[in-house]
Amino acid sequence: MSSGPRVLIVDDEERFRNTLRKLLAVSGVAATTAGSGEEALQELSKEGYDVILLDVKMPDMSGIEALAKIKKIAPAIEVIMLTGHACVDVAVEIMKLGGYEYLLKPCPLDDLMLKIDAAYERKLARKGKSGQSAAAAKSIQ
Amino acid sequence: MTTRADIQHRFLHQYLACILGVMLAVGLWFNDEYGYSVVALVLAGTALYSSRYLIQLVGASNQQKFFLDQQLIQSQKLASIGELSSGIAHEINNPLAIIGQEAEWMRHLLKEGGSEESERYEDLRDSLQAIVRQVDRCKDITHKLLDFARKKDPLIQATDVNKLIEDMVKLVEKEAVHKNVIIARKYEPDLPFIFTDPPLLRQVVLNLLNNAVYAIGHDGTVTVTTRVGQNDSAVVEITDTGCGIPKQDMSKIFDPFFTTKPQGKGTGLGLSICHGIITRLGGRISVESAVGEGATFFVDLPLKQRKGEE
Repeated sequence: MSSGPRVLIVDDEERFRNTLRKLLAVSGVAATTAGSGEEALQELSKEGYDVILLDVKMPDMSGIEALAKIKKIAPAIEVIMLTGHACVDVAVEIMKLGGYEYLLKPCPLDDLMLKIDAAYERKLARKGKSGQSAAAAKSIQ
Repeated sequence: MTTRADIQHRFLHQYLACILGVMLAVGLWFNDEYGYSVVALVLAGTALYSSRYLIQLVGASNQQKFFLDQQLIQSQKLASIGELSSGIAHEINNPLAIIGQEAEWMRHLLKEGGSEESERYEDLRDSLQAIVRQVDRCKDITHKLLDFARKKDPLIQATDVNKLIEDMVKLVEKEAVHKNVIIARKYEPDLPFIFTDPPLLRQVVLNLLNNAVYAIGHDGTVTVTTRVGQNDSAVVEITDTGCGIPKQDMSKIFDPFFTTKPQGKGTGLGLSICHGIITRLGGRISVESAVGEGATFFVDLPLKQRKGEE
């Protein structure tokens, strides 16, 4: 099993998510794809993920709505938002909802890889911290 | 800010008011025919002076209003440009992201090798096709935008609207029949010829018909009605039995880049182009809809081109 992050790509552009999955696989990152926010939530109930790449503009459930729901179900997952146009209001909303990063499409693969690594590190660090505090709490008892 | 000219102007007013007041007092003091003549003269002078002053004031405020209107138009223009550019950015950046990724994938295929030669070749060809498709998608957006921006002068001709619509209906019907969408006609037989630009009107009708069929998807009816409207106009109504338009989308329906279609399926420019065309033809376009109950688009066109309209 790969020791890297488990990534979920959520985008309504089929070609985008499939090619990105192939490119991430070449870089040693295992990724799964979902075509909508609804599909992503279903996927989360089946599998555990470390990082989610989430498109902002999608029909039915927008990326912002999906982010809010994801953070409710699995707050530890780091979410990187991808969008076709930068907008301050959306960026603020993403930060408020606990999104990790906000990237503008087209984003070079190297940059995206760096962001995924950083998000994964953050998730591990958070996990380590919560593990430490749980151990500390245990030792106090 | 008070300028030197304002102060001089105010002083002149006070000075004149004093002189007129003194003359009035003198006229009344005499209390005879001569005195009354002076009073009448003073009053006439005052009225003349006041009316000149009022005209000046109205002129100044009109000028001020003109400048404010210009500022308002300018700020509205800037807001529209902002909205438009964010729409363009979004619509172009998505295909660009795919192009970038496919190029990256092709680079990987050419560098790495590994898989079978024929398999690799197939993969390369597939990526290349994806790039071509995305370039076409960008081209479609930019061409529509150019059409949107280009103000072709309408060429006004006497037009049989029923015939023009029927031509477009026949065109759309060929596709619609496969989806079990029926197009019902309710044409007003006595509709007079209208003076309009036929190719531009054709573009609008085709767009509205296509949208109506798309909104239904499968199994439904599009009803096309023509009738004589109020104020010397011809009305075209296109009603569908589709999904309808949510209330929150009604105000955005004619905005450039507003679309409810999935990515890559619609540019969101169709209805805004229709709106632009109908406005240029001196008409009006509007919509009525409720979710789950379909939608009706109304196109109101003047029977005659009014003076000043292109």
